[in-house]
Amino acid sequence: MSQDSQTIKTAHQIVMQKGEMYVGWSTKEDVRKRGGSGGLVTSMLAAALEKKLVDAVVVLKKMNEFEAVPIITSDVNEVLNSAGSLHSVPSNFAKLIANRNLKVALPAKGCDVRGIIEQGKRNAINLDNTFIVGLNCGGSMHPVVTREMLEVMYKIKPEDVHGEEIEKGKLIFETKDGKEHAITIDELEEKGYGRRESCRYCTIKIPNNADIACGNWGVTGDLAGKATFVEITSEKGAKLLQNAIDAGYIQVQKPDEKGVAARSKIKGVMEGLGKKWKDKVFVPMDNRLEYFRKELENCIDCGACKAVCPTCSCGDVSKCTEFHFRGDAYRMSMYHLVRFLHLADSCIGCGQCADVCPVDIPLTRLYRRFANPVQEQLKYEPGMDMRKPPFFEAKLEV
Amino acid sequence: MSDSTESKSTDINKDSGEKRVGVFVCECGVNIGGVVNTKAVAEYIGTLPGVKVTSVNKFTCSDSGQADIQNKIKEHNLNRVVVAACSPKTHEPTFRACIEQMGLNQYFLEFVNIRDHCSWIHMWEKEKATEKAKDLIRMGVERAKLLEPLQASEVPVTDKALVVGAGVAGMQAALDLADMGFQVYLVEKEPSIGGRMARFDKVFPTNDCSICILGPKMVEVARNKNIKIMSYSEVKAVDGYVGNFNVKVEHKPRYLDVTKCTGCAKCSEVCPVEVPYDFNEGFGTRKAIYVPFPQAVPLRAVLDKENCISCKACAKACQSGAINYDMQPGFTDLNVGVIIGAVGFKTYDPEPRHDFGYGLYDNVITAMEFERLLNAAGPTGGHVVRPSDCKEPIRVGFVNCVGSRDKATNIYCSGVCCMYTIKNAQLLKEKRPETDHTIMYMDIRTPFRGYEESYNRSRNLGVKFLRGRPSEVKEDPVTKNIKVRVEDTLANEIRNLEFDLLVLATGIVPHEGINQIQQLLKLSKAADGLLMEAHPKLRPVDTTIDGVFLAGVASGPKDIPYAVSQGSACASRATILLKNKKAITEGITAVVNPDVCAGCGVCLPMCPFQAIKMDETPYLNTGIKKANVVKALCKGCGTCVTACPTGALEQSHFKNEQVLAQVKNVFKFQEVVA
Amino acid sequence: MSSEAAAAPKTNGWEPKIVAFCCNWCSYGGADSAGMGRFQQPASARIIRVMCSGRIDPLHVFNAFLEGADAVLVTGCHIGDCHYVNGNDKTKIKYKFLENVVRELGLEKERLQLNWISASEGEKFANFIRDVTEQIKKIGPSPLKPEGVV
Ligand SMILES: Cc1cc2nc3c(=O)[nH]c(=O)nc-3n(C[C@H](O)[C@H](O)[C@H](O)COP(=O)(O)OP(=O)(O)OC[C@H]3O[C@@H](n4cnc5c(N)ncnc54)[C@H](O)[C@@H]3O)c2cc1C
Ligand SMILES: Cc1cc2nc3c(=O)[nH]c(=O)nc-3n(C[C@H](O)[C@H](O)[C@H](O)COP(=O)(O)OP(=O)(O)OC[C@H]3O[C@@H](n4cnc5c(N)ncnc54)[C@H](O)[C@@H]3O)c2cc1C
Ligand code: SF4
Ligand code: SF4
Ligand code: SF4
Ligand code: SF4
Ligand code: SF4
Ligand code: FES
Repeated sequence: MSQDSQTIKTAHQIVMQKGEMYVGWSTKEDVRKRGGSGGLVTSMLAAALEKKLVDAVVVLKKMNEFEAVPIITSDVNEVLNSAGSLHSVPSNFAKLIANRNLKVALPAKGCDVRGIIEQGKRNAINLDNTFIVGLNCGGSMHPVVTREMLEVMYKIKPEDVHGEEIEKGKLIFETKDGKEHAITIDELEEKGYGRRESCRYCTIKIPNNADIACGNWGVTGDLAGKATFVEITSEKGAKLLQNAIDAGYIQVQKPDEKGVAARSKIKGVMEGLGKKWKDKVFVPMDNRLEYFRKELENCIDCGACKAVCPTCSCGDVSKCTEFHFRGDAYRMSMYHLVRFLHLADSCIGCGQCADVCPVDIPLTRLYRRFANPVQEQLKYEPGMDMRKPPFFEAKLEV
Repeated sequence: MSDSTESKSTDINKDSGEKRVGVFVCECGVNIGGVVNTKAVAEYIGTLPGVKVTSVNKFTCSDSGQADIQNKIKEHNLNRVVVAACSPKTHEPTFRACIEQMGLNQYFLEFVNIRDHCSWIHMWEKEKATEKAKDLIRMGVERAKLLEPLQASEVPVTDKALVVGAGVAGMQAALDLADMGFQVYLVEKEPSIGGRMARFDKVFPTNDCSICILGPKMVEVARNKNIKIMSYSEVKAVDGYVGNFNVKVEHKPRYLDVTKCTGCAKCSEVCPVEVPYDFNEGFGTRKAIYVPFPQAVPLRAVLDKENCISCKACAKACQSGAINYDMQPGFTDLNVGVIIGAVGFKTYDPEPRHDFGYGLYDNVITAMEFERLLNAAGPTGGHVVRPSDCKEPIRVGFVNCVGSRDKATNIYCSGVCCMYTIKNAQLLKEKRPETDHTIMYMDIRTPFRGYEESYNRSRNLGVKFLRGRPSEVKEDPVTKNIKVRVEDTLANEIRNLEFDLLVLATGIVPHEGINQIQQLLKLSKAADGLLMEAHPKLRPVDTTIDGVFLAGVASGPKDIPYAVSQGSACASRATILLKNKKAITEGITAVVNPDVCAGCGVCLPMCPFQAIKMDETPYLNTGIKKANVVKALCKGCGTCVTACPTGALEQSHFKNEQVLAQVKNVFKFQEVVA
Repeated sequence: MSSEAAAAPKTNGWEPKIVAFCCNWCSYGGADSAGMGRFQQPASARIIRVMCSGRIDPLHVFNAFLEGADAVLVTGCHIGDCHYVNGNDKTKIKYKFLENVVRELGLEKERLQLNWISASEGEKFANFIRDVTEQIKKIGPSPLKPEGVV
């Protein structure tokens, strides 16, 4: 192994490098137990804070099984207590850390990472100071939908739920009485439950655009469910992991070949599934004008969809809002038209807008209608690398 | 940091609360009046809110028409004026001045085109034309109400000039400016000033000895105490704007102390290295240390480190101890008010395409090579010989338009090739009357004084002119003569000719350095790849960048007299700024509202003039660094405004709400549909 | 593309309303040249002048459609000729986005068009307006046009 300047040496002579993969877990018993799969992520974040790699960490503070609030904290204990994956909290952390000038580490699903990178391109986040711990993500669920699903499909009370996991294509809820209730995700989604629509057709399952990608895929044998598989995807990622090892927060070992193969296979299958969903959701349509008009008819101009959009860096005043007047009574919303255009290259399909809309307009589906063809034609994937959004390019072969 | 171009409403702007619009509909004789029902139009416009008076005139631009506007401004206390007439492109300045005289801000004028865009193009649809005129004026009225006062801003001008390129054009510009008393920095990338002209033997149309007329000029440049020559130097960075350009110049090391070197060339006598000499178009050689040419200015040696073998022989030979092998590049920072670009050109290179056998056959050469052979100071002492056997050719063929007027290379005419070919044939014919010359041409172009006469002189001397382009050029493997197959399109017959030497009149093309200069000065290029002027007819030496001017072939093919005139023209244009010590910059610019700007920075790469900068420090307590438009650099195109997602950027006079006022008023509700 | 429509005063029937954005230096000049050359064209276009095609904001185009435009034209200098070096390169990009949104929205392709027209190309300008008007007459008023608007 060449020891060029980009490697990081330690007392133990372990050298973390971009491109390498490990399986690891927290050395702290309680964190390991509470963790989604071994508490590695939590421990890594805590170590970064303790060793002053960063000044702050973002984590979810759990309220109950379906609710949690993101917090920015500099308290190591608060970080350690946050372990665990919450599949029904479809938050997005990008805007949370925008324009705060933080030296920060944070966990991030694929869409969080993409949002953070897009904010970085717009000067709102300094990516050099941001350590992004990517979480593999097969999808998240909307809390309201989950509650309804529990009652309708599982016939259990949401309050009784104690834990939840996904295994072999099944979504399993554990109730306080220790019983497990499993239904296949296919069946759930067939009935309109399960993952959010945008998650179904999302194809960023392993966030290689983060500094380090963590998940349970690829953890085999006895360790399954008790350890996290990590892939180092940048120098910053190497630093994070090394720091946690040096601080004694985590232990790692090389993954076995079977695990590596399984992980990449699963990734392929999930991406394929995502593409299928995309074709299913975005069927060609006639009379689109009428479709869009109908869907947007109920918009009350609350502006929430703009406020949550993790790729938008405008403040309260923006082109989409300033020239939109309800009194105009146009046949189409000026606000949304401008946004359709502004987001055509930048929409990452995170689903935030649809989640937040008080009148339940399936906004992500609408916005992707415009974004899909533009991003395909321009071969542009927002949030995946530092390429400038084409709309702001000075010259482009189009 | 924002300077106050858009002044608050002061009394002179008469921008008190209520918008009082006057609309002046012009009949333009019958040009408009003959099609558009101007009375009906005025009547309708009079009903629009805010319109205090309407008026129809036969010729609004006439004295009486303008007086009508001025009277009505006074009478009705108007603060916005709409003129519906011809094109703002020709008449806007007239009416701006007209209302300004009445104390209104000149940007309170809205000009509506109901002639070129209406009456003239709907001559047989009078009703529709009338309706359209109503729409157009309504759009104008609504926009007028939203117009804001603007003032062009003034920037101070440093009274020094930079001239880049010391060919004949750049030298002329430098001399004229220096003679008017301004300090000039003349930057030349070669070791000597003089440019192309220093290489020619004689120049058309009078066939004067080129260096005999150029040499004294070069000396004059050197002696002028207002000119600082920076030879063997290049511009590395340009920052700032009209009146205040900061320029970084790099002085390449000559590896000798120019204050000690006397130009005696003892060093080159002893230098053992010989390399082909590009000044002679590769004919003959020079040493690794050499004086460029006998008339060089400055007359100093230069050591070419690439070929130097470090034998140190020259250091020993140099009696003044000038040589310094460890010399490093030097840098000078200049602050100048204006920049003149006179960076010249190169000739088309026929080698890659092997045009007419060039590069394949020894005895096919370019005109530039021929010029050096003709030159008494050239590699052969003025004897034209052919490369294969160094014999003096008898039968010489010339092919015109090589790399010019040709779809496969360059479509434009290089302008000088006909004339220099005529000159070259003449010169050799005069030297050696036994020679036989055939010029193969497409058209002979001899537009200026003495040119046609020179052409006639060649004919009288016996130079043959054959209209046709060679279709085949081959070398005789034994004699190395060049065999040409060409259709004489006047006689309508195929001719097979044999020449001892074939000379290609290669055209004018941009040199490799043009892109760098273009980027440094933020200029644009024309289709021919050379730099572009502000207007091909009316502003031929200005550029779109205020304070930057172009002279000579750098902005298109031209001959020496034309290049020299442009040098003088640049000096004259530049003097307007240098003498007034101030420049007026565009009143219409982009403006950032820092309260709205998100600091996203997407506007920066939109501006071709790099007029937008991010602030160094965050704005107030927002923690966000905001964008800022440098007014003196902004040309007011508005491209950045389109990109800005927040609307923080606005283009004055074309603000979103001003444009939208027009958009909205294209249409109207129709109460009853017939 | 007959340039003979000049003599045909067909006044009956519906006249579309077309909003044409022109840059000051080229296409606006092209429209002027059309006038100077007396190249007759349908009275359908309403020209809005901006300094450079780069200023043609998608915002303005959307607004034109929502206000009732049957077609919107984006015009400027030929590539390479922009008075501000390369404003029209950027127009090209913005237009690509606009085109996509307008098409996806379900508006016919004839309703949004891009053309580079120099200040000397009066006849081209007139032909362009005539062609677009013909096309729009075939497909009828814009479905986005608010009721009662002309
Ligand atoms: C919604 C979701 C779906 C996932 N799907 C997969 C999958 O399909 N395949 C796979 O291999 N791995 C998946 N993971 C990752 C996996 O569940 C573990 O989070 C990962 O292996 C790390 O485990 P850990 O014990 O090291 O993390 P922990 O130590 O438990 O740390 C988890 C961290 O993630 C944060 N977090 C919890 N929920 C969310 C959320 N909804 N959004 C953002 N941050 C959150 C917590 O605040 C904590 O900081 C998913 C994670 C989430 C949140
Ligand atoms: C074969 C031939 C024969 C010709 N014969 C005649 C003739 O007989 N009569 C006639 O009227 N015209 C003739 N011409 C045309 C004539 O050469 C030009 O009109 C004239 O040289 C133009 O002068 P200039 O100053 O514009 O350019 P140039 O003479 O090319 O001078 C440009 C100068 O700028 C310098 N330079 C370039 N880049 C930089 C830089 N980045 N920084 C600093 N300096 C730089 C160059 O080194 C050069 O010194 C002939 C042309 C050719 C090709
Ligand atoms: S438009 Fe909606 S789906 Fe797209 S990035 Fe914004 S919030 Fe996410
Ligand atoms: S969140 Fe929904 S209601 Fe609110 S502005 Fe967006 S689309 Fe309209
Ligand atoms: S370096 Fe010395 S020898 Fe060479 S030219 Fe100068 S003075 Fe003469
Ligand atoms: S208006 Fe044009 S010139 Fe001015 S800052 Fe914007 S892009 Fe640059
Ligand atoms: S594009 Fe607009 S919001 Fe962004 S930095 Fe420029 S002025 Fe500010
Ligand atoms: S000025 Fe015409 S496109 Fe820029």
